[in-house]
Amino acid sequence: MKKFVNDPRQFVPEMLEGIQLASDGRLKYEPKYNLIYRADMPKANKVSIIQGSGSGHEPAHTMIVGKGMLDAACPGDVFAGPPVEFVYETTKLLNSPMGVLHLVNNYTGDRLAFEQGREMCEADGIKVETLLVNDDVAVKDSTWTVGRRGVAGNFFVIKAVGAASEKGASLEELVRIGNEVIANVRTLGIALSSCTPPVKGTPLFEIADDEMEVGIGIHGEPGRQRTKLVSATEIVDIMLNAVVPDLPFKSGDEVALMINGLGGTTIGELYLLYGIAHKKLEAQGIKVFRSYVNEYCTSLEMAGASLTLLKVNEEIKGLLNEPAEVSIRVF
Amino acid sequence: MAASAMDEVDLVLRTMAKTIVDNAVYFAELDSVVGDGDFGYSLRNGFEVVVSDYDTFDRSSAGAVLKKVGFVLSGKVGGVSGPIWGTAFLRASQAAGDKTDLTSADVIAILRAAVTGIMHRGGASLGEKTLLDALVPAIDTLEAGLARPEAAQDHGVAALQEAADVAVRAAEDTKPMLALRGRAAYTGERSIGSVDAGATAIGVILQSISAAWREKFHQRETGT
Repeated sequence: MKKFVNDPRQFVPEMLEGIQLASDGRLKYEPKYNLIYRADMPKANKVSIIQGSGSGHEPAHTMIVGKGMLDAACPGDVFAGPPVEFVYETTKLLNSPMGVLHLVNNYTGDRLAFEQGREMCEADGIKVETLLVNDDVAVKDSTWTVGRRGVAGNFFVIKAVGAASEKGASLEELVRIGNEVIANVRTLGIALSSCTPPVKGTPLFEIADDEMEVGIGIHGEPGRQRTKLVSATEIVDIMLNAVVPDLPFKSGDEVALMINGLGGTTIGELYLLYGIAHKKLEAQGIKVFRSYVNEYCTSLEMAGASLTLLKVNEEIKGLLNEPAEVSIRVF
Repeated sequence: MAASAMDEVDLVLRTMAKTIVDNAVYFAELDSVVGDGDFGYSLRNGFEVVVSDYDTFDRSSAGAVLKKVGFVLSGKVGGVSGPIWGTAFLRASQAAGDKTDLTSADVIAILRAAVTGIMHRGGASLGEKTLLDALVPAIDTLEAGLARPEAAQDHGVAALQEAADVAVRAAEDTKPMLALRGRAAYTGERSIGSVDAGATAIGVILQSISAAWREKFHQRETGT
């Protein structure tokens, strides 16, 4: 392992401390619960929006706490959902008379922690609602599995409900908006390399120089297919052929198009992929309303990218266009 | 295993906790084959507190100490393991109640309550490539072994060893299974061919407990 690290088990706390110190007082850090939250929250006139998830997906979710985005994030260790206690204590601390919204990426651990945490909060009289994000088309949704995973499409859910909550939307209204986004967002990821959680110290899986993993999860879980590496254009075809028919996205639709880097791929490669995807979509009559090219949800240093499409209507377009502030990004 | 006093409860819990801490890396490696490799480390976050703080736990009854372990796990363990193992200990605690001496029947009832809790929390049943596939046959074997007359003479040493051996074999038998729960399930048919990390952990933990149990009663009989 070759990383900037002291004691690997202190990786997450030391990272969170850095985030707080870089925020110029706009964020607070509670080390007991890996909790990063807005210094100006909770507020009586705004629903508090909380995400848990694991660490290792930065900037998701601790680095996107800010006005118009998340109000708090309490991640577990690298690639592990938070303990129930983190969820319970975070919700209590952020409790607002308007209620608290839990954003949960659909993984068994996260779901269990948030289900149990919500039960405990409701027993205390706190009003809680939950949104389950499940945009990953790589997972076959069957009655057996917990269902599709929540991956980079989570960003759009955060952006939409974050913007609406700043304008005073009720908890019920946020649930409706969030579910509207979830119903219309689809993602597929492809990995070119593995990644190494600091505590583990060795790569999660092996992959040859000439191979790629199609349908990778954001925790290095193997995807559905290991194939030979192909050209960027062919990779975009694989992504679009999985994502477009799934909703389906049709000619005449307007979409937000995201090319998300998984941590170890250059921004240049991401824009290269974006250009190809943009042209192919327009050729199908699908209009790109807004572009998102960057790292939004990563898997440590994994090389790879995911493509996300969100079908937008006037309401969602309005919410995506609203300003948002990420407390530690200064331009 | 006629009547287990609190020092025997201590022995089992301490051995279990130490075994999990000692095997964290091994368990995590098993999990990374088809899962995401956090299993061993997540469990360690809780059980290392059980190891370090055990002397401070309320041990006025079996139920009290099991409840404390359940709370520690719910507070410290993330991922799937926290809710699953935390619920198992809390249900076990309810079944144990304020008893300080546990009969064979009590021990089986406590273990069955833990299994019910795991099934409830995780929504899993047998044959879905989870720790239940080792735990349930092991409990069945232990129950049958403890019902034999010899169990009263050897304090359940032989029955516990049989249960531990069954758990190890059952974990091995998860290899051809298709994972239907947890993150391993996402890989579909690619989960076939590797053992379930949770089931394997159950085998390792039961072997350690069995060894410690034999040691204790061997020492008692030989007076060493």
